[in-house]
Amino acid sequence: MFLTVIIAVGVVSSIGAGLAALLVVSERFLTDYGPCKITVNDEREFTIEGGRSLLFVLGGEKLFIPSACGGRGTCGLCKLKVLEGAGPLLPTEDERESNVRLACQVKVHDNLKIEIPQELLSIREYICKCTNIKDLTHNMKQFRFELVEPESIDYIPGQYIQLLTPVYEKNSEEVYRAYSISSDPSDKNAIELIIRLVPGGICTTYCFEYLKVGDQVKMNGPYGDFRLSDSDAQIIFIAGGSGMAPIKCMLHDMKNTGDKRKVTYYFGANVAKELFLIDLMCDFESELEDFTFVPVVASPEKGESWDGERGLVTEAVQRNLKNASQCEAYLCGSAGLIDAAIEILTELGMKEEAIFYDKFE
Amino acid sequence: MGCDSRSVAEIIDADAFEVSKFGHTTRQISVRMQEITDAAKRGLGTWVEIDTQHQAMVEEARGSIACPWPHLGRFIKRVTTVKHLDSGQIIRWTDLNVHLIAEHGFFEGRGSAFRIEPGKLAKVIF
Repeated sequence: MFLTVIIAVGVVSSIGAGLAALLVVSERFLTDYGPCKITVNDEREFTIEGGRSLLFVLGGEKLFIPSACGGRGTCGLCKLKVLEGAGPLLPTEDERESNVRLACQVKVHDNLKIEIPQELLSIREYICKCTNIKDLTHNMKQFRFELVEPESIDYIPGQYIQLLTPVYEKNSEEVYRAYSISSDPSDKNAIELIIRLVPGGICTTYCFEYLKVGDQVKMNGPYGDFRLSDSDAQIIFIAGGSGMAPIKCMLHDMKNTGDKRKVTYYFGANVAKELFLIDLMCDFESELEDFTFVPVVASPEKGESWDGERGLVTEAVQRNLKNASQCEAYLCGSAGLIDAAIEILTELGMKEEAIFYDKFE
Repeated sequence: MGCDSRSVAEIIDADAFEVSKFGHTTRQISVRMQEITDAAKRGLGTWVEIDTQHQAMVEEARGSIACPWPHLGRFIKRVTTVKHLDSGQIIRWTDLNVHLIAEHGFFEGRGSAFRIEPGKLAKVIF
């Protein structure tokens, strides 16, 4: 009886899979949608052969829309407005706002009218050469990429780029992953990234195990609206792990521009040996007008000498910051870290609109 | 699926049998996994004492992963690492693993990055 059920399930599944495959193959090779005209923001028009995803087609026209999942419809980043010509919503599109679609889930079968946010129109693709890989901790590395074509980039400290992971032994298709820029923004000919190895991660495994100095990579950007405000309010930075990246970039910028704001940077790690770029932070302490770096170690290991702050990074903020009502906070890290920090900061009197963050989600 | 040549149904059945040998159900396993993940989240990326036998931590990366079954549902890229203090054994899972085990009884195929051996999992988390 059990065997019969298993066989029946297997047969039905096989027929379903076969039909789906037939549909994909026939759509790819037999269906001819002909030329389709795409109108962007009522300003630019181009004609392409139909049948591919809108995200793919736009990339071919050098119009880069953020996407962290390689077009699988899972990251939800490639949203744009399709005013005319899109098909029905697919199950992976749970955004129901008027005309807002995931570019990766819209197949171009017809003429389309779309709206792309103005800030995305300046995004470019960069061909870069990896020129340095530096170990920061057991699972964190800093990568330096010198720009080959074009040779320079302008970005706002706090923004991120998307790094293209090529096909390699453990990955059968190209995917993009987002990483905050950590470099000094005055160094316009290079991009530095701080990357933590994610177990089983497609891009981080590529960067840690396959990428070598001298290799060429592609990235596009810059993206994101995480940036310093124009105010002169006291700044509280809170980060952990690779959340160091955009904060480091902002500190370089503050030094370059002679920013005199009072800054305290709380940076959390599990054990003291997981802290990194300490020398650079000490340099910032002497170079910036009023900067204090507060490393926080959750549980110093036996035999590890540590006389700094202990516990969670949010606990250190609570111990040291008595009144946050006149401060601004900039947070970068996991969703859990950011949610906990927001709770603590608002308890200390900080207004929610004075809290800016770059959440890993 | 990794490099597993078995069908999804065969993997699910074999793993359910393996779990039952330890006196548990896939539902009990997923509930315990979720309890550990929820407790570990309080550590904000640092190790947390779950009980006298277990320490755990969570790490998050940008992005989310969708369940491959045909229903809505995205899961933060969160990895929970659990250490059994007596045996020293360590096991990892993602939020998607917890969902796959709870809702589909699926521990992933052999050779996939986040395949969890049910027997080892049961030994470590209970």
